[in-house]
Amino acid sequence: MSTSTDAPASCPFSGAAAEASSISPAKARPSSETGAEAPSADWVTIADLHDDPFPIYQKLRAQAPIHWVPAVNRYMVTSYAAAHEIEQNEADFTANERESLMKRSMGHSMLRKDNPEHQIDRDSYGKTLRPATIKNHWNEIFAANNDKYLNELQAKGPGADFVWDYAAPYTAENLRLICGFHNASQQDMQRWSQSMIDGTGNYADDPAIWAKSAESSAEVDAAIAEMLPYLAKNPDHSLLSGLASMPIPLEAIRANLKMTIGGGLNEPRDVLATTVWALLNHPDQRHAVQNDDALYSKAFEESVRWVAPIGMYPRETTRDLVLEGIALPQGARLGVVLGAANRDPQVFDDPESFNIFRPKKAHLAFGGGVHFCAGTWIARAQVAQIALPTVFRRLPNLRLDPANASVDAGWVFRGMTKMPVLWDS
Amino acid sequence: MPTIIFSQSDQSATEIEVSEGTTLMRAAVSNGVAGIVGECGGQAMCATCHVYVDPEFSAELDEIGEDEEEMLDCTTAARTEYSRLGCQVKMSAKLARIRVSVPNEQV
Repeated sequence: MSTSTDAPASCPFSGAAAEASSISPAKARPSSETGAEAPSADWVTIADLHDDPFPIYQKLRAQAPIHWVPAVNRYMVTSYAAAHEIEQNEADFTANERESLMKRSMGHSMLRKDNPEHQIDRDSYGKTLRPATIKNHWNEIFAANNDKYLNELQAKGPGADFVWDYAAPYTAENLRLICGFHNASQQDMQRWSQSMIDGTGNYADDPAIWAKSAESSAEVDAAIAEMLPYLAKNPDHSLLSGLASMPIPLEAIRANLKMTIGGGLNEPRDVLATTVWALLNHPDQRHAVQNDDALYSKAFEESVRWVAPIGMYPRETTRDLVLEGIALPQGARLGVVLGAANRDPQVFDDPESFNIFRPKKAHLAFGGGVHFCAGTWIARAQVAQIALPTVFRRLPNLRLDPANASVDAGWVFRGMTKMPVLWDS
Repeated sequence: MPTIIFSQSDQSATEIEVSEGTTLMRAAVSNGVAGIVGECGGQAMCATCHVYVDPEFSAELDEIGEDEEEMLDCTTAARTEYSRLGCQVKMSAKLARIRVSVPNEQV
């Protein structure tokens, strides 16, 4: 148990002192022993997952760490130990899956490559997303954007939607500048992001969704083509500016930027709204953060544990193996369910509760291993350091609208889809 | 092969023999040393493999790089002059029997 209250010297994301913890779930090394067949969970439906996946995850995890789920056409991995092993073990679990909808929608980005190819792309992002650049450059820009979009929310008045009238445009505008799309608007970013994400999730193969996704993809290609020569002459701190002077194929630039537009917008937007929603539903914890700004980073980390904004991502086995006692054939398509692993009772006490005061342990919301979220520190800065404290300071007596209920939804991506709020103006 | 000694705040210690070129983080994670998380797999991106290196080895270590420097400002346990990221320290013969302390807090 720690008694230290020292904040990190100059880190822009100082969290309150954590309690000592050692994360030691059962070791889950893949073995060559004979494993059991994965139980089939034919009772799981996409519609139920979309509404509320957590009771389903509880039931699955209690039965086995890995199931075959016909509705999803994948093995769903729901235990912390198995998910953690998969993300640390690239050799047995490749990110470069066959017939990837993400590749079709966005091109072959670093998220679907293994090392060494992945590392070349990852390194091409340079210093843009790293803490020193955030501290010296982005924080001031995020703060200005935050003021602008909070002003717009306040102008709209009580009853406005916290997600669509504030969190979405705020995070979209931040991402626009991080990417370097000086020829686009935050509305373009939102449209591009949603339509390409819809393509990535188009398991029903709906032609209308593919058409919209392709249209956005072409618009992004055109915007990149216009920005690269401009940024080569007028460099700034953006991703495209760094890429403009790098010997990296245009195809990789396009795919990586599209992946970033997908993952860099919805995730901080959803964390921001989900965290505020959770705090508004837990008055004691809301009271605590309002009296101690250092607790906002705890609220952020607990929020992404509790509702991981990316709830599931794909991997594929490269050989026959046994993971946590379950036999998986070579080429098995896996869904690594972070939303379930983050509520594994083997690791977290009372895992279904939102509790910013729980003993800190490593959650898996940002993924792990070589694909650890490149935007982790950007998200922490724009949401926990800048948005959350300002929201509660500027909107007195902020509360959910009792006459117009909020809606939380999704499972591959989960967040607030509607969140009307009131405050004393 | 050189040996690393990881010591914990409860005075317990784990000795691990590794091949040269292995990082402190990889050695710890592969052998289940408590208190070293290594979330980002060794890219100096997460600050969860923070260790305090025994002063007698300080001079033998490579200098702290730019990425490690900014990340050391983001460790959960307080940074000291002996703080390093385990993923940035590669084992070599001259570091044989290096002793490092694992902080109480890593996340």
